[in-house]
Formats: sequence, structure tokens, C-alpha cells
Amino acid sequence: MTAQARHDLARQALGVLAVLLLWHLAAQAVLGSYMLSGPVAVATYLAEHHALIGRALWVTVQNAGWGFLAGNLAAILLVLVVALLPRMRVIVAAIALVVFCLPLVATGPVLRVLYGPGPGPQITLAALSVYYTTFIPLLVGLRAAPASWFDLMRLYGRGAWTTFVQVRLMAALPYLMAGLQIAAPAAFLGAMVGEFTGAERGMGVLSIRAMRALDVDATWAIALVAAAVSMLAYGAVGALARRLSHGRPDILMATAPERARGNAMLRGAGLAGVTLLVVLALWWVAMEAFDLSRFFAKRPDDLWRFLVTAPGAEGNRAALWAASSQTLVQVVPGYLAGLALGAVLAMVLVLVPWLAGAVLPLAIALRSVPIVTTAPLIVLALGRGSAGTITIVAVMTFFPALVACIQGLRQAPGQALDMMRIYATSPLMRLWHAQIPAMLPAFFAAARMSVPAAVLAVTVAEWLATGRGLGALMAMTASTSNYNMLWAAIVVVAAGSCLGYALVAWLERAVFSRVAPEQLRG
Amino acid sequence: MAEAMSPPGPDIICTEVAKTFGDAPAQVEAVAPLSLTFAGGQMTALVGPSGCGKSTLLRMIAGLEPPSEGAIRMGDESPQAMQRKGALAMAFQDASLLPWRSVQGNVALARKLARQDADPDAVAGMIARVGLAGFEQARPAELSGGMRQRVAIARCLVTQPRILLLDEPFGAVDELTRARLNVELPPLWQASATTCVMVTHSVREAVALADRVIVFSSRPARVVGDIAVPDASRSDRVAQLALVDQVSAALSRGWDETGPEARQAAQ
Repeated sequence: MTAQARHDLARQALGVLAVLLLWHLAAQAVLGSYMLSGPVAVATYLAEHHALIGRALWVTVQNAGWGFLAGNLAAILLVLVVALLPRMRVIVAAIALVVFCLPLVATGPVLRVLYGPGPGPQITLAALSVYYTTFIPLLVGLRAAPASWFDLMRLYGRGAWTTFVQVRLMAALPYLMAGLQIAAPAAFLGAMVGEFTGAERGMGVLSIRAMRALDVDATWAIALVAAAVSMLAYGAVGALARRLSHGRPDILMATAPERARGNAMLRGAGLAGVTLLVVLALWWVAMEAFDLSRFFAKRPDDLWRFLVTAPGAEGNRAALWAASSQTLVQVVPGYLAGLALGAVLAMVLVLVPWLAGAVLPLAIALRSVPIVTTAPLIVLALGRGSAGTITIVAVMTFFPALVACIQGLRQAPGQALDMMRIYATSPLMRLWHAQIPAMLPAFFAAARMSVPAAVLAVTVAEWLATGRGLGALMAMTASTSNYNMLWAAIVVVAAGSCLGYALVAWLERAVFSRVAPEQLRG
Repeated sequence: MAEAMSPPGPDIICTEVAKTFGDAPAQVEAVAPLSLTFAGGQMTALVGPSGCGKSTLLRMIAGLEPPSEGAIRMGDESPQAMQRKGALAMAFQDASLLPWRSVQGNVALARKLARQDADPDAVAGMIARVGLAGFEQARPAELSGGMRQRVAIARCLVTQPRILLLDEPFGAVDELTRARLNVELPPLWQASATTCVMVTHSVREAVALADRVIVFSSRPARVVGDIAVPDASRSDRVAQLALVDQVSAALSRGWDETGPEARQAAQ
């Protein structure tokens, strides 16, 4: 070991000790308040219950692993469909988004009825929470090759298949690995949410039990183990990616918005209409094909009766509306605060580089933690009011935004920055004129992907803790078998998420066509 | 050597070839209708101001860009037919190597794409002839810019093409490397009597390498000079300088004719 390596190791060890000490002191300060459990208490709990935690962890890891496999396989198949039928790209991507926006906390109970006992729902939820973050970068990756590589294939009279095998597939590999890396902790999150919604075994079950029993030590120990396993999975896939790939994509999922052709509003409305029709048809066909009981497997026409024509429909609509507005006032401020904090902190770190060295590794590590699995902690710390929920949403949005914005700020061309330095411009001027414009694609990519994540966070928090909003409505209707309302809530959440995503995409295009029209894809 | 005995490559015949990009009113005329014949087995250099459309002409010859008007034949065949026969090769301004393939892998890929048998000896021989023996297993990222261009040329030549198109192949390397590549590599294709068309910015390079230099005006490309380079001038420095002057004069005529002042005067 070199002197430098020894020095680094010593510094890291010191850092870990400092964090442990701070944690211990903080725990001492709030002793007896049901908020924070110290490192000693957590270690004691883990030592005493290692067999229990080990068994639960094994169950959850298995579920997450199967879900990881199934979800990523589905993503790859979807991308193959798009590669073979390029005209289908927009509609397949839209349907993929709708499915990704289905609220896990509600699909969980529905799947529970469908599958019966066993790990089916957990695995399905894990798959549902990973496929989209693999699908999107892979879609970008298949198109991410210099034009001359495609020219080379055509020069020898070769067609789409050879191009696919020789160029697209290999060019997409780094993007696939980037997607898989994000998917690893996401699969763990999906499996845990699946276990929240009525499983018999696993980390999610232990977590819920500990929180309900106000067992602070257990809640902390379980959340920390879940976080550590997620980080480990993230790191392991990252290491594998570095071994396999010839390069990393610069910005994850920062696909430039497409240049509007013709009337953008009309095209958007057309796409929304077609997507709606296809989704309704798929929904209905799936229910009929498996001959699922109308008691719990509601069809579109059941919901129409429930919300429009049946007696009492007005009351149903009012209940749904009340829950939706309760959720909206929590998710919007949390989402905006998380995004803004992430962007602002990224800018501060660029202006104060020595701070970045300290904060960035921590931020990247924490980004891999599925925040929702630590939701019980935030509920313990901040109580069951709005503050806790908004914080969970903000934290869920904050880390991806921070990491994306830092990556984006670094995309500022070095020569442009040098040119400004020659005129002795202030760092703020450089930030404004070169770095913030370079940050925008990454920022908007994070903003778009954070919409479903924020909705997931708010519904889980409501479901676990606050007893208000759509999350609580879904929990209550699932336990009272009011499946009409449950399905109605699923539709509202999915539609709301897609609408939010579309809104951010529209904003993105508007901003780009104003400040950087050359970046729009033609 | 086998290719030294092969018959010269076919003539490339462009008849009233024109290219416009985009739709009215934002239409851009890249190449005005042009009729040109590139003699088989000869090296023709295309020079002209940046963005004049000479690369577009080269891409049309390669069959990568359909002409808006007119037709291109190679002997009796279309560019597409030549593509399918594996008889075309092109070097791009950046080497355009696939980063996940080794030097050997990149060169071998061309034979595979051209539906030729995987001839490891031919591949190794070509790599050695461009001066990269010992680097067969290196990845493009481990090579210098000049070495990457050597690989690109090896990839072009390993299929023994009838037509070789060079789009500023040495444009992205430094002056010294470029001078060396210009001395070492052209004999490789001159020996095989391939029909060559090269786009370049460098008047000296054009005169040094080509049998004929065609000078284009600013966009849309029109021929403002067509200068034959006699073989005798290769060893005659005075004759070379005279040719460089001649090409340069044609180039500046091309500028003057279409410059802003000239356009104002015409209106």
C-alpha cells in the first residue's frame, strides 16, 4: 500500500468515526423522544436479532433479484420492439410511462388478491419499479452513435439488422449498464413496498411491524440495513459496468426534447388520445383474457358507472377529489423544494469546489438509497403531519436532482470557461453564461424522472403514516375491499403522474426553444 | 501483388447531379447541377471553400446521400450496386473506428461487411502495411490520432475496393503526422489502380497526391477550375509550385465570384 493510499484510508476511517460520533451525540440529545436511535442501540439490536434480520433480508433480496431480472428483461424486449418498429417509439414510450406511473401501494393490494399468498406481488412490484429506468436510457443508447458509424454500414450495402448487431447493440451497452445500476436499488425498493402491502415475510414486513410498535431501534436498524444493501447493489453493478463498458454515457437520460413539428399542442393531444385508447384497450383485454372476477378486477366501464352513472356517484367523485387535493398540496411543494435545493446546492458546490469534494461522494452514495425504504424513519422523526410527508417527497427528488445538476454543470465546455477567465469574469458570471445553460438538459431529465418518484413517495408516506390523501384512501379501500374506489384512485394517480411528466416535458421544450433551439432534436 | 495486376477501377460518371436540403422556403442548394467524370484508376482531388458542398458530392458518390437531381454511375452500375458488391470504401474525417473493437477487429469488420471471407493473413498483412504491426490487439482509445487514421485506411483497403473515397482523411491530425501519412499511405492504393476521389482543404496535398484537381466555388458548388497534374511534376518542385499557384488562383476566383460584393454587384 502506498503512503497516499494509507493516508486516504486513514482519512476515510476518520470520516466514518466522526459520523458515528455525531450520530451518537444526536441520539443522546433526543433520548426518549421516539426520533433517533444511536449507533450503540442499532448495533445492539442487530446483534440480538441478526438471525431474524438475515432471514428477512434473504427473502427480500430474492424477491428483488427476480423482479430485477423480469423488469429488465421486459425493458429490453420493449426496446427491441421499438428498434424493429421505429414508428411505434412514441406510443410505446407513452404506454411504458403510464404503466410506470401506476401507484405501487395500490397495485400491491390488487396483485395480492390476484396472486394469493406468496412472493408474486413483491416480485411484480420490483419489476415494475425497474423497467422504466432501463427502458429509457437503452432507447437513447440505441440511437447514440456517431453518424459515420451508420454510414460505414451503408457503405457496404448493409441494412438495419447488421447495423443493429454491429453498432447499435454495442453502442447501447454503457446505457444499459447505467440503467441496470439505477435498477438495482430500485428493485429492492419495489420488493419492500410489495412487502409493505400484506406479505408474510421480508424486510418490508419487519419495517412496518417495528414502526407500528414504535420500536425505534428496530426501525432504524432495518432502514439502515436496507440502505446499506441498496448501496452495495448499486456499487456492485457500477463495478461490473466499468469492467464491461468501453465508456460511460455523459448524462443519464438527458434526451433532448424533440423539435415540434406542425402544431405541438395538436400532436400532444393526439398522442394523449391514442395512448388513452390503447391503455384502456390493454386494461380491458388483460382483465378479460385472464377472466378475472369483476369483484376486484374492475374494468373501465365499472369505473365509469362508479364515478358517473351509478347512484352516489357524486359522493364518490367528491371523496376522490378531496383525497387528490390533499395529496397535491403535499407533493407539489415537496417536489419543487427538492428540485430547487438540488439545483442550488449543485451550483454552490461548483462555486466552492473544496466543499464538492466532501459532499459529492456522500450525495452519490445516498442517491442510491431508495428513500421510500427509509420513510418510516422520517415519519418517526418529523411526525405524521404534512412536514414529514413533504420532507420525504423533497428528499426523494433532491438527490437525483443534485447529482444530475452537478453532472450537467460539468458539461460546460472548458474552452468557453477559459475564454471567460481570460476576461477575468467572476465565477457567478461564468455560472450564469456557461454552466447553467449546460446544466439544463440534465436538470430537466431529473425533473421529468422525479415526477413518478415524488408521487410514489407521497403515496407511500400517506399510506404508512398520515392517514390523509390518495395514499391513505388506497390503503383504506384495499383493506375494506372497496375495489371501485381503489381502481379509481389508481387511475387518478397514474393520470396525474403522466400529466405532471408531460407538463415538465412541455416546460422543457418551451425553455429550450427559447434559450437553446439548437439542442432540440430535429 | 494481386491488386497490382487487377484492371483499373471504373469511371465515376456524374450527370447533372444536384443536391438541395430542406423544404422551401428554408431550402439550401448544396450542389448546383454538375456533370463530371472521374477517370478510372485515377486519383481526383476536390478542393473548395468550407461548406461548398464537396463533401456532399462525395457522399452522393458513396451512395450515402441520394442526389436531388441527376444520376451517378460507376461503369455500368449504381453506387448502391457497388455497395452491395463490397466494391466501395470510404475514409471519414474522424477515423470512425468502433471503440469496442481492437485494431484487428476493426479491419476485419470491413471484410465481414463486404461479405468477403475472413482472411486473417490479409488483415494482419494490411495492418503491417499501414505500419501498425504489433498494435493488432490495441483499442482505438489507446492509439494516437494518426494511428487511428492508419487503421481507417487499412479498413478501407483490406477489401480491395474498386472505388476509394477519402473525405479529408487526414484533416484532424497535426501537420507533421499528416505529411508522414501523405508519404506512406498513398502508395498502398496507387499500386492497386483503384479509382480515388479525395476531398481536402490543402492545396499542396491535392497537388502532391492527385492526378487531377477540381476546384469548387462557394456554395452551391460549381466547378471553377479543373487542373491536370502531370506525372512529371511529382519530382519537379518548380512545376509543383506553379500548380499550387494555379489551384490557389482558381480557388480565389471561386471566392470572388460568389462573395457578398459580387452578389451585390449582380443585383
